[in-house]
Amino acid sequence: MSAAVSPDARSGAAAARGIETTVARLLTLGTRLAMVLVLIGVGIMLAHGVDPLLTAIPPFSIASIPADLLALRAEGFLWSGLLVVMAMPVARVIVSGFGFFAAGDRRLALVSLLVVLVLTASVVAAQGLGG
Amino acid sequence: MIAGLVLLAGGAAAGIFGSLLGLGGGILIVPLLTFVFGLPLREAVAVSLVSVIVTSSASAGVYLQRHTANLRLGMVLELFTASGALVGGLVAFLLSDRVLAALFAALLTWVAVSMFRAGRKAQPSAASAAEAAAVDAGTPAPGSFTATLGGDGYSVRRLPMGMAGSVFAGLVSALLGVGGGIVKVPVMHMVMGVPLKVATATSNMMIGITATSSAVIYLLRGQIDPYVAGPTALGVFAGAMVGSRIAARIDVRLLRLIFVIVMVYNAVQMALKALAL
Repeated sequence: MSAAVSPDARSGAAAARGIETTVARLLTLGTRLAMVLVLIGVGIMLAHGVDPLLTAIPPFSIASIPADLLALRAEGFLWSGLLVVMAMPVARVIVSGFGFFAAGDRRLALVSLLVVLVLTASVVAAQGLGG
Repeated sequence: MIAGLVLLAGGAAAGIFGSLLGLGGGILIVPLLTFVFGLPLREAVAVSLVSVIVTSSASAGVYLQRHTANLRLGMVLELFTASGALVGGLVAFLLSDRVLAALFAALLTWVAVSMFRAGRKAQPSAASAAEAAAVDAGTPAPGSFTATLGGDGYSVRRLPMGMAGSVFAGLVSALLGVGGGIVKVPVMHMVMGVPLKVATATSNMMIGITATSSAVIYLLRGQIDPYVAGPTALGVFAGAMVGSRIAARIDVRLLRLIFVIVMVYNAVQMALKALAL
């Protein structure tokens, strides 16, 4: 297989290495932050004796998260941790897109933009369906 | 309080098993939440998707740091997995729990059979057959987009087939709450000529975007329970970290056998659920 490698592949892989290191740091730090938030939320939940299987799903509202955090409510920490979890892959795509654009790789930058658009379409579709 | 701790422990067990067997954990979390904790299938799928994103981001960080994952190829293919997941996330709300259970039973059966066969087959011969097939397929045209997606020591081939496989992986992920690696890894390795190690790492990285595309839909439709998702995701994260550290000391053959038995049992249970028996 090694004989079949093209110079295009070599230059492409070399350009991606710097972006990969940046993205790796972002994912590692982001995941740790998310898990710390979730850990605090689970701790508060257990301390308050909340039974996850008997408690109704709290409605999701970004606007109420800051107040829940300040009031040290479990759902504030849980929702923010879960949002950070879901934001990490999106952040990875955005950072990679900027990295590819800066490296002059317009095609990969466009692909990154399209991935973000598909994710945006998910949000719009979910809201459009009465979410 | 007990239920929260049991969810944490269940997530940790799924994380350890998943990590040792090279799976995202979704294939274990959905049956766990459905059969042990009695959650509706759709809610279990939603919670599983969150856990799958956590393991994907954590492992992708390591793989990218080591430059094992192919970021460029992953970006291109995840455009298609995300599109498939968008469609799957919407279709999931149109299907009944019984249909979802039937699909999950089929997936569990497929995974159990694949795992059983992988245990019986000699790994080197399978890998060399794939590599030989990839070499036979020829290299992409110099200067083409596909030619830029290869990595150190390999070229990428049959990109359109990879794209089609990725759409299917996204659909499976969104409908059943799994990472979709069971589809992506064979497509990248056997069809596109990507080395197995790189295909596994790249698939792990892509899972985050695939699962996020549909998790957002579940979130906005009120299907993600933070009280269940929190402890489960935390447990899976901790379990995956433990699993990666003890992997070298565990007899994977025995583990694989246990896994196959558990999968077959879960497949039967899901099939019974689908048949409403």
